[in-house]
Amino acid sequence: MLEILGSLLALSIGAGFVGAISGLGGGVFIVPALVIVAHMPMRVAVGASLISVVATSAGASVAFVRDGWTNLKVAMVLECATVTGAVAGAYMAGVVPTAVLELLFAAMMLQSAYFTIRKRGDDILTKGDPLAERLELGGEIPDDTGNMIHYEVIKVPQGGALMVVAGLMSGLLGIGSGALKVIAMDYIMHLPLKVSSATSNFMIGVTAGAGALVFLSRGDVATTIAAPVALGVTGGALIGSRMLPHLPVRSLRMVFVVILVLIAVEMGWRALSGI
Amino acid sequence: MGKADEDRILRLWTPLLLRTILIVAMIVIVIGLVLAVTVTPGYYVNRYHAVQQGHLIGREKFAEMVTRSAAGDPHTVLMVGLFVLTLVPLARVAFCFVLFIRERDYTYVAFTAYVLAGLIVGIVLGGIG
Repeated sequence: MLEILGSLLALSIGAGFVGAISGLGGGVFIVPALVIVAHMPMRVAVGASLISVVATSAGASVAFVRDGWTNLKVAMVLECATVTGAVAGAYMAGVVPTAVLELLFAAMMLQSAYFTIRKRGDDILTKGDPLAERLELGGEIPDDTGNMIHYEVIKVPQGGALMVVAGLMSGLLGIGSGALKVIAMDYIMHLPLKVSSATSNFMIGVTAGAGALVFLSRGDVATTIAAPVALGVTGGALIGSRMLPHLPVRSLRMVFVVILVLIAVEMGWRALSGI
Repeated sequence: MGKADEDRILRLWTPLLLRTILIVAMIVIVIGLVLAVTVTPGYYVNRYHAVQQGHLIGREKFAEMVTRSAAGDPHTVLMVGLFVLTLVPLARVAFCFVLFIRERDYTYVAFTAYVLAGLIVGIVLGGIG
């Protein structure tokens, strides 16, 4: 038994660690690890992953919320969209064929790979659109010299629409969909990048939680797998975030891209050979 | 209480709430795993191989789970730990909901109420799905 438990913990710690240092979250790594290495059915991997994503989001968002990087109001507005998508996705995961899920997973891995290499920069707005101003979504962040700068937000409905898709993917595939969430907030709504990342991390808990509740109440969570995975991924993410300042993350970025593409190819191949 | 106070309360209490429930859930899961290793190692290995074949235990009644976990059944203790973990976001949204009601910030009462309702619909949909 210790052998099985040890290998599950090792896989999960590895996935949590890589998820934290790549900024993509443990979900995109633990689902394929469970399917490909531990030979688990896709829905078991998705259920276990969703719960571990809730745990890592809660752990990681503590410091971001305390230090003021998370935009709590943006999170609460957009969570309406992600929860809707996540509940629908988790419900559909029970009926969608595994091959389709694996293909979608491969597509999401490629999107994450693209997200990792694309050029990014802050494009801070000082004037928001009327809806965002009415909802008081703007906030403040320190600039390089420590002075506080104010930012405003635009295109809330468009950002929300992409969030429904992010929630759907989360519920279907057991991932946090952080890469999609950050694109919605940083590219569409013009939130500063660090605020987008912190807010995405915070929202992932509710998104994955909504999906996890569907899986748990349906009886689709195997405690034998989900418990060590939740523990391992959280531990790995904790180690990863502690080591993050000391790692050459920029040069590791290409390694993550290669890993993501390889997993996408493997998942895609599994899906096509299973059809 | 003004907007600044509302923000201060959220930033003070949200991390505390998240961390506390997370730690409790993790302790329950560790206890469950230790029990599984020491009390029912054979059951764990059998379940692991059954799950690989796609055989899940299925839906369980909450009341039965509470009774069995009080009796120290490792599988049920693990299930309770996972449930507590999943309640982290629910508790956080419920906390914000109550805070916004106290603040009479009805726009955000509506947003948090929608999210809470979504989470509850998830449980119901899982139950009938």
